[in-house]
Amino acid sequence: MTGPGAWPVPGADRALERARIGRSAPRPDGPAKVAGTFPYANDLRVPGMLHARTLRSPHPHARVRRIDATAARAMPGVAAVVTAADVPGVPTYGLIHPDQPVFAPVGGVARYVGEPVAAVAAVDGRTARRALAAIEVEYEPLEPLTDPRRAADPRTPPIHPNGNIYRELTLRHGDPGARGPVEVVDSYLVGQQDQAFLACEAALALPAADGGVDLMLATQWLHSDRDQMAACLGLPEEKVRLTLAGVGGAFGGREDVTLQIHGALLALATGSPVRIAYDREESFLAHPHRHPARMWFRHSATRDGDLIAVAARIVMDGGAYASSSPAVIANAVTHAAGPYRVPNVRVDGVVVRTNNPPCGAMRGFGVPQVTIGHEAQMDRLATALGMDPVALRLRNAIGPGDLLPTGQAVPPPLPVREVIEAVAAAPAPPPATAATPARDRPGGRGAQADPARIRRGTGYGVGVKNLMFSEGFDDSATARVVLELDRDGQPRAVVHTACAEVGQGFVTIAGQIARTELGLDAVVLAPADTAVASAGSTSASRQTWMSGGAVRKASVAAVDEVLRRVAASLRLPPAAAATPRRLLTLADGAVTGPEAGVSVGLADVLAAGGPVDVTETFRHRPTHPMDAFGQGDCHVAYACAAHRAVVDVDLDTGLVRVVELTLAQDVGTMLNPLSVLGQVEGGTAQGLGLALMEELVVTDGMVINTTFHDYLLPTAADVPPLRLIPIEQPAPEAPYGVKGIGEAPTGTATPAIVAAIRDAVGRDLRRVPVRPADLVLPPDPTVYLAPPDEDPEPQGPAEPAARDGMGLSDATPGAGTPPGPDQPPAPGASP
Amino acid sequence: MTGVATMRRPRSLSEAIDTLAASPGADLLAGGTDLVPALRTGARPVREMISLRRIVELRARGAAGDWLTIGACATYADLAGWSLAPGLAATARSVGSPQIRNTGTVGGALGTASPRGDLLTFLVAADAGVVVTGPVGQRQLGIGRFLADRHGPDELVTAVKLARPCGPQTYLKIGARQTASIPVASCALVVDRVRRLVRCAIGGVASRPVRALAAEDHVAETADWSTGALPPDAAHRFGELVAEAVTTAPDVAGDDVYAPAAYRSHAAGVLARRAAARCLAGARGADARRP
Ligand SMILES: Cc1cc2nc3c(=O)[nH]c(=O)nc-3n(C[C@H](O)[C@H](O)[C@H](O)COP(=O)(O)OP(=O)(O)OC[C@H]3O[C@@H](n4cnc5c(N)ncnc54)[C@H](O)[C@@H]3O)c2cc1C
Repeated sequence: MTGPGAWPVPGADRALERARIGRSAPRPDGPAKVAGTFPYANDLRVPGMLHARTLRSPHPHARVRRIDATAARAMPGVAAVVTAADVPGVPTYGLIHPDQPVFAPVGGVARYVGEPVAAVAAVDGRTARRALAAIEVEYEPLEPLTDPRRAADPRTPPIHPNGNIYRELTLRHGDPGARGPVEVVDSYLVGQQDQAFLACEAALALPAADGGVDLMLATQWLHSDRDQMAACLGLPEEKVRLTLAGVGGAFGGREDVTLQIHGALLALATGSPVRIAYDREESFLAHPHRHPARMWFRHSATRDGDLIAVAARIVMDGGAYASSSPAVIANAVTHAAGPYRVPNVRVDGVVVRTNNPPCGAMRGFGVPQVTIGHEAQMDRLATALGMDPVALRLRNAIGPGDLLPTGQAVPPPLPVREVIEAVAAAPAPPPATAATPARDRPGGRGAQADPARIRRGTGYGVGVKNLMFSEGFDDSATARVVLELDRDGQPRAVVHTACAEVGQGFVTIAGQIARTELGLDAVVLAPADTAVASAGSTSASRQTWMSGGAVRKASVAAVDEVLRRVAASLRLPPAAAATPRRLLTLADGAVTGPEAGVSVGLADVLAAGGPVDVTETFRHRPTHPMDAFGQGDCHVAYACAAHRAVVDVDLDTGLVRVVELTLAQDVGTMLNPLSVLGQVEGGTAQGLGLALMEELVVTDGMVINTTFHDYLLPTAADVPPLRLIPIEQPAPEAPYGVKGIGEAPTGTATPAIVAAIRDAVGRDLRRVPVRPADLVLPPDPTVYLAPPDEDPEPQGPAEPAARDGMGLSDATPGAGTPPGPDQPPAPGASP
Repeated sequence: MTGVATMRRPRSLSEAIDTLAASPGADLLAGGTDLVPALRTGARPVREMISLRRIVELRARGAAGDWLTIGACATYADLAGWSLAPGLAATARSVGSPQIRNTGTVGGALGTASPRGDLLTFLVAADAGVVVTGPVGQRQLGIGRFLADRHGPDELVTAVKLARPCGPQTYLKIGARQTASIPVASCALVVDRVRRLVRCAIGGVASRPVRALAAEDHVAETADWSTGALPPDAAHRFGELVAEAVTTAPDVAGDDVYAPAAYRSHAAGVLARRAAARCLAGARGADARRP
């Protein structure tokens, strides 16, 4: 069997062994990934395994009248067909709130195109596919609700017992009626982006002798999956064991359960190992996407360019099920004013249920959408003021101690001013000339753009992104460190966490941290699984801080234990024994204490006292829920970034070439500069994709472009080299002063590119992605979102302005939270 | 791919024809860049397959008299540097990525006959002939005829024939990802300075490449054929006429995920203007032979 392996440190490679924090240690899994030998979840095979396929609803909204799987079950080679009737536990699951059926049940309703109805396990994929075709499902199509603005209207009938509003938030800061003499007002639309990770969803489910199930899979959060699976399978959690298999990208798209429960049900039903894996088309249908957003903004300022007020209204389309919508809208609302000092802020945000594909987490988590809005507004305000866009941003840049729209004081450091100044000061690329080869002009060699019709544009995108979980969530990460002797009697450390390595490089960082703290080169990472406590999700820019913090804490505790043992064996005076670090050091596999005249090999310590085995849990400082006006210390920390984009636009065809991208980013302390560069390059490319081409087109609830032929990802032809200017200011509350780095640049690349295009063509661009047609056809006057009803009189605090459809503020992510008493099933809606 | 089917690998054309005669309608596999994805997604059922990849004779290309002959298994990469056929070479260079150019073939492009296919658009402008071969021998069809009738189930495309260029020719296209993909709109322009005419085909805009006849006539009438140059403004007018031809073409494509229809006709006009400026600039027109 090819299975997920440990990531050992090759003994021969001294450079790697020496990799401590701060160095650009290479990825331990890098060579295998480049050579194509790395085992991804899709590669898992065991002899005798069955192949699973999922039957999905072709309707955006339909009642399931009847399912008849008799013929499918009778087909030779078909081992099992499972439907909602075969789910032994809770029939629904969900990341924050369990509102999504494992399968749409007979008599119930399927709410989006692609909603699972049944799953089949058969001897091979082809038989399974034929069995799907043999399952008879009778649907009664219902009127689909696909316009999020209609869904937000309380008069619209609910399409789910929990109603159509996932969460509505009101933020009021300062004087909500305040206005300045210079105003810019407009509405914006952000299309639906997909995470488009390269390795599609896959898992191998193995039935276990104890009646439980083992699952090897690609995911972002093992324990969240485990909890949701156990609830639906009706099994105790300890009988559902998950091991991380090789993950080929995630970007938020693996936070939700997709194939986990289906695969486990089939393995339990057949008593055989089951491989369940999606192809690209199914992947596009199966996981939640980035929320499309409609936004209205009004920025007002003094004539000198001091921001007076920002008013915003945000409507996000959450699609058919909740996923992480309630948390995404909180991010959108709290970040709507951007990295600027704004004394008066009012934001009304709502995320709604529709019959469109479900939306959830994607890199940036609600922030990229509003960053597109506030940065477009800042540019237009600069134009209205006759000011330089950089000067306007610098003038209003927020800094440590300033108040955010939530009333929270910015926790230090937050070098907004520095990142803006850094990108603005970077040398500009040489202009395009007639000598520029066609290959490097917009549209490349094929389009042969006329040099006289190419316009250069420069734009800036500045943003701030919260790090880690928010709103009072009790976030923790656990690590276990074992110091032991290997077969040759040499000391080694085994680091065990449940942290999902999804490509971000935790396997590199964890090794660096352990080596640094333990003074030991031989560090082995055990496979991530549920045998150790939760690491939390690989999302929210949190794992280096959280699981990295846990590895450090456990490593420090392991060293303390070694030193304590040595101190005890030396019979040091009690005062010295209590603080052995003052006398003794563990480095290069030996405990030494020159003052005490000590030098003991670590191997001897472990041989005498047995392995040192410590488990530690790390927590960040607590956050708090927001009050009814969106006020409260709801986020742990922030990171800021600024992109400068330089583009060439062919005025005749509207084709765009991004010529250059410069990023200055608030990176805390860089534990691995190469890893930082990899993260921000990827984040930048994903932001470029959203700016220019990545859009999942959904018409009347139908997803139109479910292949990489039609859903366009940027390639090397589109993404210029990135110049990174890291701004290193250690975060005092974080281990080693780190900051999460993966998300911030995704949010800023998009608006910077859009701004550069605006600069080149002189058009206000209100829709993202910007398509060539948007630059050459007559401008589209569509109002994407009407302004909110103004209520200049602040409401009394007694009147709750926040309607939390999900009961999020006190809910814990994970399954098992039944609908609260505040959410009675709506009449007329079906489960 | 979900199924197991037999795959035959003839080593000569005659063996291929016999194999095809034995199982007419079998899937011909050339580069597989269209066929394999279609089999994987289930868009096409898995059937018997005949691979043409070992038939060396189908990969030949050459010139004889007034004609250029290109074997059906010639890849885009084989054609990308061919100095005898500058328009065809420009077309080949514009296709996909290097991987696709290394595998995709002329025969495959005709077999798929995608309305967006680059090669098809150029072949229409070049008024190419398509040679198909079956048990009773070979026959040559004009490209228009071929697109309407295709070939019989016991036949395969064996070659494409082009007249030797008698003037500048070019191929321009607009597509996503800096045009490293199927075109949103494309324009092939072939100038014949001997016969004093041009042919222009627009791809990606309708169910098959659109000839812009009124635009072609406009050039034929206004060009100074002694120098091969268009008067000022004529290129502009040419572009307008091409855009018009696209708008009024039968079964013109509507708005889709790639672009609104209005953008396609606009883009076709721009590309046509550019193509005319490159190919009909008099002495400077020689430039059009270069990429
Ligand atoms: C990523 C990607 C990018 C692409 N980009 C472009 C692009 O930019 N422009 C463009 O035009 N195309 C593009 N294509 C499409 C494709 O490369 C071309 O259509 C190619 O020419 C097909 O040739 P093939 O040899 O791969 O055909 P195959 O896939 O082998 O066959 C295609 C069809 O033709 C039939 N066939 C093959 N040979 C013959 C023959 N001798 N006689 C009769 N029928 C035959 C096959 O049975 C099949 O039905 C792209 C494809 C991909 C996958």
